Amino acid sequence: MVDVKIENVYKYYGSIDGVAAVHDLNMDIKNGEFVAILGPSGCGKSSTMRMISGLEHISAGTISFGGNIVNNLAPKDRDIAMVFENYALYPHKTVFDNVANPLKLAKVSSPEITERVKRATQLLEIDHLLDRRPQELSGGQKQRVAIGRAIVRQPQVFLFDEPIAHLDAKLRARMRSELKRLQVDLGVTSLYVTHDQLEALSMADRVAVMHEGILQQYDTPQAIYEKPANAWVATFVGEPQMSLIECVIRQKGSGVVLDFEGHEIAVGAKVGKVLAASKEREVLAGFRPNHVAINTRKTAGSIPGIIYARQLLGGEILAEAQVNNTMIRARVNTDFSLQLGDKCSVSLSKEDLNVFSADTGVAIY
Amino acid sequence: MSGENVSKRHPIFTADAWGFRASEQMPETINRSPSKLFYVYLMAPAIALLAAITIYPFLWLIYMSLHKVKLGPVDDKWVGLKNYAKLLSDAKYFEGWVLLGKYSSMCLTFEIIIGVTLAVILNNSRFEKPLVTLFLMPMMVSPVVAGLLWFYLYNGTFGWYHWLFESLGLLGGASILGRPETALYGIVIVDVWQWTPLITLITLAGLKRVPQDQLEASMVDGSSPIRNFFSVSLPNIFPFLLIAILLRFMDNFRFIDAILALTGGGPADSTKLLPVYLFDVSFKFFKLGRGGAIAFSLLVVTIILGLILVRIFEDPARKQAMSAQD
Repeated sequence: MVDVKIENVYKYYGSIDGVAAVHDLNMDIKNGEFVAILGPSGCGKSSTMRMISGLEHISAGTISFGGNIVNNLAPKDRDIAMVFENYALYPHKTVFDNVANPLKLAKVSSPEITERVKRATQLLEIDHLLDRRPQELSGGQKQRVAIGRAIVRQPQVFLFDEPIAHLDAKLRARMRSELKRLQVDLGVTSLYVTHDQLEALSMADRVAVMHEGILQQYDTPQAIYEKPANAWVATFVGEPQMSLIECVIRQKGSGVVLDFEGHEIAVGAKVGKVLAASKEREVLAGFRPNHVAINTRKTAGSIPGIIYARQLLGGEILAEAQVNNTMIRARVNTDFSLQLGDKCSVSLSKEDLNVFSADTGVAIY
Repeated sequence: MSGENVSKRHPIFTADAWGFRASEQMPETINRSPSKLFYVYLMAPAIALLAAITIYPFLWLIYMSLHKVKLGPVDDKWVGLKNYAKLLSDAKYFEGWVLLGKYSSMCLTFEIIIGVTLAVILNNSRFEKPLVTLFLMPMMVSPVVAGLLWFYLYNGTFGWYHWLFESLGLLGGASILGRPETALYGIVIVDVWQWTPLITLITLAGLKRVPQDQLEASMVDGSSPIRNFFSVSLPNIFPFLLIAILLRFMDNFRFIDAILALTGGGPADSTKLLPVYLFDVSFKFFKLGRGGAIAFSLLVVTIILGLILVRIFEDPARKQAMSAQD
């Protein structure tokens, strides 16, 4: 149980002139913290984890566990445990031998192995499967065995590489809470790689969002959701997606308003102050679907549009309105009566919005 | 057979043609799977061909082993099991078995150890493709040619390997094939040279199938690369190795071309393995009945050993482990 520091880490595959899979990554993971790395495929999240595990060479920079640089240590000398996406169980070994493998390699005495395997498998409720082989197990059971193999030893760091990506939705939801519970109980510093924002936001103490090898934002799940650092994070995190609309900041009276294709969007005093102080003129204003209303009432400041799509999401409907070439999404009640092609008016929240520079995408508010 | 869905198909696929049992309870739209008879029909031509080229000669072999076979236009004389009984008092026959056992186990041991080692090295090499091509060359050579090639390399006057072994002080003057003590090793080396690449090739194919994540998991679990090989790679390539062993041991029991070219069974019968002895009895002394008995006993032992290997191969747990990877 240590803190992990990643400093100026680069990863190149092939030539150093090529594109970096991981570009100048700096992260610190506190002792006992649960950190998720979130990003689409190819963003460098798996490369990062593999460099921490020692399965991949670090092209530049340092990774240290508790102050000791581990760059040149083999995986077996790093005292880590890893859960793989495809479980990576040994097919020729029983569940017991799979779980016991790290202990056997560490030359733990056999009564202690039996004891510790028993404890780990009881915790995961797979102690009745010890004599089975992996191919006789269901996906969920295999996954538990893989976790069992990780927790049977008290490693310094847990690494999870999309461990529940292949389970069905219901089991995944259950495993999310169980994994989180397990991590808190064991108190081991953990790194969790996923492309599923729900997993990252629901389990992690802090989330690192990566895109094209670059760390976009590293913060608590709430901050990532409410105060995305840039437009990319804003649209990547949150389901349904945030709507971004291109606006120009315009002076009006003593305050400012957002000009969206001739429509005036009023903003709250707090937002206005920040925008007035900003040097940016052209901005992207982002609204989460629950901060947008789509209806037939024409009020001051509402924008006329046409219903482009509607999706039933169970307890609510996601309505999508088209305003010229911009799509704006809103969560509405299931009694929403407008159909595709109907005229509607879109009202935007004055306070709950995010503003990004149209030029760089960096958050202004 | 009623129902439009089925009767529209070509008559050859209808139930009547192939002996389906129409069942009343079955919904008409379900395509029933063909009966066993259907598969028998499909396999019949292949079985007939196989019978003509293998089963008929095999029956002839048994016939010969039970007769005193005359080569002239005279009827063969039935002798019952006399040919087999004579083998029991034939010292050369048993010596042939012992030599064959030694030869085959030495060949297999060296071929497996060297073959697997080479496969592991190749699998981690940047030059895998050109090296594999290079390694395959010995296999492409006909065994007789290999025998002749090595015959020259071993030659006591100008053979390069002879010179090499002599320089290492291994021979003490005589040619490697010229001394009863070393001749068997001489032919083992040729077999190892020629057939190790086959083991390498099969093992290499197996190594490609070893799941990367299992290797990585094992590394994270704390194992060294060597331990990793024995605990993850080896169990995964085990079925491939068994196939290789099966092929090689069956070949060892019947390939005599290289041996005939190298030593012809000499010196002092030190390389007269059972198949070589069989060749002598049948085609030098033309005792075809007795040769038939030797051949049949060789065949029976080969089949029994082969079945044992296949049985290991079909160990249910192992089989499941294999299929689980797909």
